[in-house]
Amino acid sequence: MKRILIIDDVRDRAAWLKASLELAGFDVVGLLAWEQVDEHSIQAALADVIIMDADAPGRDTLEQISLMSTTLEKPVVVLSAQKDQRSIQEAMRAGVSAYVAHSIQGEDLSGIIHVAAARFAEHKKLRDELKEAKSQLVERKLVDRAKAILMADHGYSEPDAYKRMRNMAMSKGKRIAEIAEAIIMAKELSA
Amino acid sequence: MNDEFTNSRRDFMKNGAGLLGGAALMAMVPPGIRSAAWAAGSDAPELKEVKVGFIPLTDCASVVIASVMKFDEKYGIKIMPSKEASWAAVRDKVVNGELHAAHVLYGLVYGVHLGIGGPKKDMAVLMSINNNGQAITLSNQLRDKGATTGETLKKLIDTDKRDYTFAQTFPTGTHAMWLYYWLANYGIDPFRDVKNITVPPPQMVANMRVGNMDGFCVGEPWGNRAIADNIGFTAATTQDIWKDHPEKVLGSTAEFVQKYPNTARAMIMAMLEASKYIDVMANRRKVAGIIAEKSYVNCPVEVIDQRLEGKYENGLGKKWNDPNYMKFYNDGAVNFPYLSDGMWFLTQHKRWGLLKEDPDYLAVAKQINQIELYKQAAAQVKVPVPRDVMRSSRLIDGTVWDGKDPKKYAASFKVRA
Repeated sequence: MKRILIIDDVRDRAAWLKASLELAGFDVVGLLAWEQVDEHSIQAALADVIIMDADAPGRDTLEQISLMSTTLEKPVVVLSAQKDQRSIQEAMRAGVSAYVAHSIQGEDLSGIIHVAAARFAEHKKLRDELKEAKSQLVERKLVDRAKAILMADHGYSEPDAYKRMRNMAMSKGKRIAEIAEAIIMAKELSA
Repeated sequence: MNDEFTNSRRDFMKNGAGLLGGAALMAMVPPGIRSAAWAAGSDAPELKEVKVGFIPLTDCASVVIASVMKFDEKYGIKIMPSKEASWAAVRDKVVNGELHAAHVLYGLVYGVHLGIGGPKKDMAVLMSINNNGQAITLSNQLRDKGATTGETLKKLIDTDKRDYTFAQTFPTGTHAMWLYYWLANYGIDPFRDVKNITVPPPQMVANMRVGNMDGFCVGEPWGNRAIADNIGFTAATTQDIWKDHPEKVLGSTAEFVQKYPNTARAMIMAMLEASKYIDVMANRRKVAGIIAEKSYVNCPVEVIDQRLEGKYENGLGKKWNDPNYMKFYNDGAVNFPYLSDGMWFLTQHKRWGLLKEDPDYLAVAKQINQIELYKQAAAQVKVPVPRDVMRSSRLIDGTVWDGKDPKKYAASFKVRA
């Protein structure tokens, strides 16, 4: 069985990944945050495979640790939520994902990569959806507040207030929420 | 820490709409577009959009300026600067084609070509981006113990025994080589006498602040930032180690250059125009203002601007106007991909045991550095090209490097692996 170390600062993602890999029959021997990464912690994990986010800044730190050590397997799997199935395969073909695993075959890795990649992608989708929902809510609240200000201060009707904001947004090349925010700030300033 | 969680609400709202667009840009150019351009068979760039990676450092300026000031459009391309979180990510993305090219450490490109500690892929240096402008910072704790120079640092390490930690930015990169060269010049073995770690540039200052390191070598603005934040001082600039040393290059793969020669040439031309623009001193404040933005270097403009304009202070009370400040053009002398520059990094890789055997230094440099392509591009934008593909330089220890006997040079150092 391949012993896997996960390095990730996103704790819930790391936990998911661990559970999924274990369900698929892999042995997850450690979870580390990037600030815990040093030669000692990497050595102590005794992992065959290290999984991390391709865009983690700490990757360069790990490069040096691996290069300087004669006994360490090198970092192996780097994943990004951006990667689709095709680019994962391309990355593997280019040798990026598996470049360092001197003793591990490509086929052994592919199972791990697929489980991990699916989890990364799922995590990103959930987070994006949450963010989208939040931002829509925030924007709607801002627009409503700005509308109320315009109606109270200038006596516009509600559709009229909205139309004015929308026209301003279009002519300034800004989003309506930004216009709304400016109106609220101007109001706060004069209050 | 994840940016998405630290942005303020306002930034969040501003960025919200751009999220999907950003993700779409990440996708590679569809193969259909490539072959259509190729079939046209003209001098026109085969690709209209090129994704160029960069790391938040002052010397990423030519990539950013080529795009922001639209020098790229003059040559029929659109440069899409892509901020990357680590040199390892830059390397992987260039190797697998997610990035077409990148602002990258000279030595890293050579390391990938030879497969040092990572993937092996035939690489290409399209042009050199800058000379000078990196620095070695020591912590204020060392200053308080009297270590302010190479000599006094050596004395402290010899007498006050403890673990000393020094950081650089990538094992095969330029900052590692400057740091090792400088330490070794004072008889400090960078592997045996001190602990030697790698830290991403923007995190250097924070790591020194919490006491994780005694010194580091990194590109500006992070050396100046350590002084502004009152946690360290500049013990040496890299131009002290080697005046007009090679530093970042526009790196890509041999495969890219072969498939898209017109695009590669257009990139060089756009970057040369940007380099000219940046090297006009009167433009530098504006350049600093542009690259200071959050999407680029993300550092206060005055911290970038000072040293970009050659105004140095070392954090110990010394101020000077450095004639060897960060150069981007210097009448084309900066940008020519001298074979001797590339070979120098190989000699240092050999010196420190990153290469076990002597490579064919000259052959490797000829494969990587795209002299012909560069000359064609330079001719079109009227940038002078030197006659010789080698140059001669005297380094801090008095040795002369001229590219003539790399094997002997690599073996000549007293302190080595």
